[in-house]
Amino acid sequence: MPNLRALIQGEFIRLNKYNLFAANFVVLLFWVFLVWFLEGDVLRQFIPVIFLMDSVMMTILLVGATLFYEKKEHTINSVMVTPVTENEYLLSKILVNALNSLITVAFISLAVYLIKGVTYNYWLLVPAVLLVTVVHTLIGIRLSYSAKDFTSLLINYMIYVFVFVLPPVFAQFGLIDASVARFFILLPPEASSILIASGFADVELWKILFSYGYLTLLSMLMYWFSVKPMFNEYMMKEMGV
Amino acid sequence: MIKVNNLRYKYQKSKDYTVNGIDFQINEGEIFGFLGPSGAGKSTTQKVLIKLLRGFEGEIEYQGKPLNSYDDQFYQDIGVSFEMPISFSKLTALENLEFFQRLYKKTVDLAPLLKRVGLWDDRHKKAGEYSKGMKIRLNFIRALINDPMFLFLDEPTNGVDPANSRIMKDMILEFKQKGGTVFLTSHIMGDVDELCDRVAFIAEGKLREEGSPRDLKLKYGRRTVTMEYRENGELHTRIFTMEEIKSPAFFKLLQEKEIETLHSGETTLEEIFIKVTGVKLRA
Ligand SMILES: Nc1ncnc2c1ncn2[C@@H]1O[C@H](COP(=O)(O)OP(=O)(O)OP(=O)(O)O)[C@@H](O)[C@H]1O
Ligand SMILES: [Mg+2]
Repeated sequence: MPNLRALIQGEFIRLNKYNLFAANFVVLLFWVFLVWFLEGDVLRQFIPVIFLMDSVMMTILLVGATLFYEKKEHTINSVMVTPVTENEYLLSKILVNALNSLITVAFISLAVYLIKGVTYNYWLLVPAVLLVTVVHTLIGIRLSYSAKDFTSLLINYMIYVFVFVLPPVFAQFGLIDASVARFFILLPPEASSILIASGFADVELWKILFSYGYLTLLSMLMYWFSVKPMFNEYMMKEMGV
Repeated sequence: MIKVNNLRYKYQKSKDYTVNGIDFQINEGEIFGFLGPSGAGKSTTQKVLIKLLRGFEGEIEYQGKPLNSYDDQFYQDIGVSFEMPISFSKLTALENLEFFQRLYKKTVDLAPLLKRVGLWDDRHKKAGEYSKGMKIRLNFIRALINDPMFLFLDEPTNGVDPANSRIMKDMILEFKQKGGTVFLTSHIMGDVDELCDRVAFIAEGKLREEGSPRDLKLKYGRRTVTMEYRENGELHTRIFTMEEIKSPAFFKLLQEKEIETLHSGETTLEEIFIKVTGVKLRA
């Protein structure tokens, strides 16, 4: 995959020039700002939420924004008449988001340590964040495919949050029966939440193993059966040139 | 060398075939002009030929092998400029070119290209801040950065000023002299006449005519000479066939009358276009 490096480099240059890095950074500063005011248990419960929000929400939004620009400027057509393969193109998106999440982990963890002296298990956190980012890059691409503009991407995104994120939250407040809630681990954000939580507190081993297996499988299935097959159709829709 | 046999293409959304059974061949080292009225399917054909639109019917062969047997390495030797200029608007012209340059095994120096088309001084300007003509020139050299063997140019000089158009045409001709092959669409018949070794006319998804501009002009032109002269203050017009101009009558008029104009009846590509496609040129 000789083009992967060039694609990733190009993607980072664009994230910078299209001010998406700046937007991401503002969000990170906002998290640090909140951390400043939190203490003790509340803080320890809040930090995993930062990483979850970043690797779920920011990932979907960033990948959505880059695809949106590529669509708007038709640059995807230009890229597709170079020796770049579909796999390289999609992989570059995944890797760029993974690298971004690592930057977030490093930045937030450093800030939390410097401001509050709080540490946690980075060895469990990093792989969790990476896998969660990979899944959600694919979900972000998939949501962008069926969005005709950035607004409809946001709507797709809201629906995603509504359908997949809210049920576990309701369950926490006892609004959903525990016998049903057991199955919420099958919702990607919930499995993600479990993985990220493992860096901060004791989580049952079977849940961690299951979530890793499940999200890995889901990534592979999405890649081969949803994102890649739809890529060409998406390209055709792009053809405004 | 590109061989196209009974090519048909239908967009998913449309019910009719946009390209409906066309055959042609582009020989190595020639500039092939693909002409036709707006909406005839020229850009569609180009996109099929560069493997961007899949699911066509019929056969397309590159260098004797079916198009579908090539993987993405195919693009190492292909240069494309689309109908509409495409660039990353927030990157500078140079950053745009450098991004694409890194995707090829073989590349050429950017400086001479940028200088040639007059963009060197503006190379650090964002592509989005370029004028239309500048964007088109940027796209044109973007098609050349991998030192391709085949060039696909969709209306390359449309919207470019005459001086830059001259430069681009010279570059296309030089590309051909170095052995390159070009597929070109254009509505500017003067450019086509000057550049193309052969042209094909497409209308309503079918090829209507094909040949070298010279042969077509002979075929569609009248072998006549039209003379306008003034006699007693009145303008007279006489038409002679190519045989008749050898006659004394023709010479007599030449010697005795005050000749105002003398035209051979050879036709223009523009007239041929209108005749074979049945449609007037875009304004
Ligand atoms: N993405 C698309 N989906 C559906 N139909 C399309 C699409 N792109 C083009 N068409 C239709 O295909 C036909 C041919 O379009 P094409 O762009 O190939 O024409 P063209 O010969 O290049 O015209 P022009 O000289 O105006 O550039 C038109 O009727 C157009 O509406
Ligand atoms: Mg066109």
